Formats: sequence, C-alpha cells, structure tokens
Amino acid sequence: MNLIGITINHTTAPIELREAFHLNQDEIAQLIARLKEKLFSEGFILSTCNRTEVFGFPQSSSYNYTHIYEELTNLKKVDGVKPENFKKYFSCGAVKHTFEVASGIDSLLIGDSQILGQLKEAFNLSDDLNFSGSFTKRLADAAIKVGKRAIKETRIGEGAVTISFAAVQVIEKIYASLENKKALVIGAGETAELAAVHIKERGLSEISITNRTAERGKELAQKVFGKFIPFDEYKNQLYKFDIIISATSSDDILISKKEIKDMMKHRRGSSVVLMDIAIPRDIDPSSADIDNVFYHDIDSLKIIVDQNLQRRKFEIPKIKRLIEEELVAFFSWYNTLDIVPTIKVFREFFENIRIDELNKIKNKVTEDDYHKIDDMTRRMIGRLLHNPTITLKELAESGQNVQEAASHALLITNLFKLNETTGKDRLEK
Amino acid sequence: MLTSIHLLNILLPLLYFAAFIFYAYDFFNEKEFFKKSKSALLFIILIIHIFYLVLRTIEFNHPPITTKFEIFTVLAAAIVFSYFLLELLTEIRGTGAFIIIFALLFQILSSLFIEDLIEVKEVLKNRLLGLHVISAILGYAGFTVSAVYGILFLIMYKKIKRSKFDLIYNRLPSLEIMERLSYDSLVIGFVLLTLALIIGFAWLPSAFPEFSYFDPKIISTTLVWLIFAIGIMTKIFAKWYGKKVIYFSLIGFGVAILSLGLSNIISQSFHSFY
Repeated sequence: MNLIGITINHTTAPIELREAFHLNQDEIAQLIARLKEKLFSEGFILSTCNRTEVFGFPQSSSYNYTHIYEELTNLKKVDGVKPENFKKYFSCGAVKHTFEVASGIDSLLIGDSQILGQLKEAFNLSDDLNFSGSFTKRLADAAIKVGKRAIKETRIGEGAVTISFAAVQVIEKIYASLENKKALVIGAGETAELAAVHIKERGLSEISITNRTAERGKELAQKVFGKFIPFDEYKNQLYKFDIIISATSSDDILISKKEIKDMMKHRRGSSVVLMDIAIPRDIDPSSADIDNVFYHDIDSLKIIVDQNLQRRKFEIPKIKRLIEEELVAFFSWYNTLDIVPTIKVFREFFENIRIDELNKIKNKVTEDDYHKIDDMTRRMIGRLLHNPTITLKELAESGQNVQEAASHALLITNLFKLNETTGKDRLEK
Repeated sequence: MLTSIHLLNILLPLLYFAAFIFYAYDFFNEKEFFKKSKSALLFIILIIHIFYLVLRTIEFNHPPITTKFEIFTVLAAAIVFSYFLLELLTEIRGTGAFIIIFALLFQILSSLFIEDLIEVKEVLKNRLLGLHVISAILGYAGFTVSAVYGILFLIMYKKIKRSKFDLIYNRLPSLEIMERLSYDSLVIGFVLLTLALIIGFAWLPSAFPEFSYFDPKIISTTLVWLIFAIGIMTKIFAKWYGKKVIYFSLIGFGVAILSLGLSNIISQSFHSFY
C-alpha cells in the first residue's frame, strides 16, 4: 500500500503556523484539483484550526513528499514555515496515523470530541469532489469505526477538559437542574461566549449578558437567546442571578466582596455560583468566604481539567490496542485484494480445462455417460482445489503472513501461468 | 418455625453486609454489574426482612416492638424501606451505602441480643401501642435518612468550597438534590413522630397509672420534636437554605439518638420495659 501524506499539528508547529495553514472548503477544493492533476489518484484533506493533513495514493510509483508540501505552500503562503513543520507518513504508518487522529489520541486535548466529526466531513468533501476511490472509502469507514469504538469502549471522551466545560460541570454539582436557574455572563469575548453557549445547552432557563461594549454584548445575547443588560446597570440586578460567570479583560476587580455580601442579603442566603474565568480576576476571590457563595476561578477549575486529562491519558493504551485490531482488519481486507482474484482465476483455469476436455468426448459417449463424467470431473476438480483455496484464503484473511500470502499467490500465478490482472491492480487503475 | 427465625436472625446481618458491599463497591468503582444488581438485592433483602418480622409476630404472639433489640430490627427494616422508596421516587442510586450501614449496625445489635420472648406485659400487646411505636420508628428512620444526606451535603459543600474535586465529589449527587432529600425525609419523619406523640399523649395516661409528663423519654422526644419543628419552620417561613436547615436535622438526630440511649439507662420510669 502506498498511501502517503503530510501533517502539520501541535507536535510539529506553533499555533500561529497551524492557524495560518487552516484551509476552508474552497481552498481544499482548489488543492484537491491540483493534487488530482499532478500527484494523487485519490485521497483526502483534513483541516482544522489545530491541524492540516493531506493524504493520498500517488499516481505513479515515484512520489515525493516535497511535491505535496510545495502544492500546499503554493496555495497558502505562510511566512516562517519550514518543511520540518510537517510530519511525513507512509503506508501502514499513514493508516495508523489516520486511526489515531480519528480516536482523538493525537489531539492537543486528548479525546477531543470534535475531531471525528471533522474527519467525517473531510472524507465526505473528498467524496463530493470525486477525490475518493475504493481505498479512501474503505479507509474512511475504518477510521470512523475506530473513532466510534474509542468513544463507546473507552473513557477517552469523558470529563470536562476545557475551563468553560469544567465550570458547567461544577455548577451541575451544586444545582440539581438548571431549568429554573438564571445566569449572568459578564463579558462577550471568546471565553465568555463558550461558557454562555455551554451553559445554555444544559437547559438553563434564562441567560443575560452584560458587556462594556454594548454592541458585542447584544450580539452574544442574540446568539444564546438571552437578554442584554447595559454595563452600568448590571450591578443593581446581581441578586437576581443564581449563576454569575465573569470573563472580561478588565485589569481591575469588577465586583467587590461587599457587593457580593449585599447581594446575598438580598437573596436571603440562597446559594449563588460565581465563576471567575478571567485573567486577571474580575470578582474579589475573598467572596469565597461568604456562606453559600461558591466562588471558583481558573486555578480551581484547572484542577478539574488536569484531572480529566490525566484520566483520559490512562485510556491511551486501550485505544492503541483497539487501533491495532482495526489495523489488522484493514490490512486483512487489503491483502485479500491480491488473493481473491488469484483464487478466482486459478479456479477458472481448471474449470476451462475441464470443459475443454468434456467437449472433446461429448460426441463419443452416450448422453447418460456424459452427465456422469461431467459430475465426476466437477467433483474431482472441486476436491483437488479445495485445500489450496482454503489455505490461500486463510493466509490472506489472517493478515499476519502478508509476505507468505503474496508469495503463494505469485507462485500459483507463475506455475499455472495465470497472466491475469489481480484485483488490487484493477483498483489502483 | 423457630429454626427459620433463628436462621434468619443470623442471615439478616450477613445480607445487609452484602448489600453494603455492593453499594459501596458501586460508589467507588461504578461497575455495570453492581449498578444493576444492587437495587434488586436490596429489594430481596427487604422482603426477607419483612417476612422475618411477620414470622416473629406470629410465633411469639406479639409484634417485635417490646424490647430495645426487637425495635432495632424493625428500625433497620424501616431505614432500608425509606431508602428504597427514595430510590424508586428519585434518580438517586449512588448513596445507598451511607444509609445501609445504619441498617446494618442496628440489625447486628438486634441479632446479637434479641431474645425469644413469649411472655410480655399485657399493655404491650395493645393495638394503639403498636401504632405509637411503629410510627415513632418510621419517624426515626426518616430522621436517620435525613441526617445521612445532611452529612453528605456538608461534606460536598466543603469539597466544592475548597475545590477538592476528588472521588467523593465525583460520585455524590448535587448539593441541591441532597438538600432536598434531607429536607423531604425530615418532613416525613416529623409527620410520623407527631403522630406517635399524639397517640402517646392521648392514650398513655389512661394505660399507665403511674404516667407522668416529666418522664425523661417524653421530655426528650418533645425536645427532638421541637428542634425539627423549628428547622422546618425556618425553611417554610424564614426561607432559610442549605446548611442552616441541615444543622437542625443533624442536631435533632443527635438528640434523638442520645435520648434513645440515655433515657433508658438513666432512669427507670413507666416508659421503660426493658
């Protein structure tokens, strides 16, 4: 198998380079058109903000990674990029790498839940652009199977591994349900948005957004079907909220301990969750001393994230075993490509001889005898070919003796001069 | 029948121990097998326990409420029964070990010291007394469950406040759920204890010639009742939340346990039969 490819990801390049190489759908289409013309007969391109991967089956046996690199860098002119920022993969290694990506263990956040979907999209796009052949389709099926098995059979995807998810997880350990809870999100930046979206997804009944720049705040409020509260008014309404998430870029403390104390008086002690996910912090951390105030900042949430990442790391050996199983299955399929046509041609060769000989005696014997001979020869050929056929099939399907299977097939082809093209050749054409 | 009673008497603590192991193992490991089988096991044990109580009642011709150790086995069954109801009515499955350990302790004490009494005072065979004692026992089972969830609430409260996100944090349900479980079982316990007190005050003076309102058990139980009453009032009228209400549940439970033990040891009153 000569699947080859290059990848740029968090192990090979800094974030600026990875982001710079992110390809949108149009760019992928352009690149695929170029690759189809010059390099690959089929393949796929995966591109997220954290990785870009170009894989394919070369048209000729002389192939070179630098060609792929050149095509990519011609399309995306990025300053400071070097060939060393790309990792190269070939054959079995390339398949294994694709499986590892699908399972999430190759991601920056181990067990990342989004990558499998992105990989599916990449294969679909390749299909839409007629860049996907039998190999790529089979590879896609196998890789998606790996991803699904990883989620189902291991705990690689369990537990929050981002600060905003961890915040939601803690909130759910305080409140039984978010259905009758009200939340306020202070800030409208990326972190604030993630937190707002996550918490809204958990069935929160009411969400309000406040932000110094009203325009951005209103935008986010619209996005999460929430209310916008002007920045100079939100403090008067603090007591209304069960959950306050703050993620602004303010250099100073926004909410003092006294303000939290007053708020708690107003709430008659009913508990409140303060998630201060800003650096530097927005809420006075000593608010944590007040009864029924659950104050958490990035440092404490990071404990959860680190714990979960550690737990996910423990799952990697399980995933690796799973990938090995799927690799064996994939290559068993690949090896049968060689054997199955050989067996077919081999049997056809014997059958042709039988029919030829039958024809020769057809007019020399009675019809009754002819049928007896026909039956007899069919059974004889069947018995003669039974053991070689089974042995070849087993050799191919076990996938453990690739060399042996290939040499057996070659031997038979040469011995009987079965000069027919095999299945793999056909596929590769 | 006597042999089956003796056999069950030995078997019950062992069964509760097995249930405790199942629930505890599930709490710390979350294995699929224990997750599914633990509730079924508890249900079977509960049926066996009720069967045992019925057998005793028939064999000894009185309900098992005449000695401390007879009452303990009823209390164990009542605690498990209350918890089983909670499992049926709520989504809470993980915290059974903390409740079952109380049932186990009461059952062990009962199994060790219970006697085959056939002769009991005539007054103890009274139907009203049965109602008085059973409602009191179920009430105390409710307070036990309430106290357990109260303690779990406080543990969880501390863990969240101090960002100790460990195994116990991961396995316990949310604070709000534990607060509700603690409060709900407190209210149920309170209603049943009220019933026991009403029956007691209405019937005891006529049944016992030496009846006195200054009996230590009456005073302590009334005190327990008052503590729980104030706890429930603060929640309803003063809209208190969380820890404060839980403290009432715990103090009430503490006084109740003390009064159960001490009042019987300290004084000999008409209220003591054992």
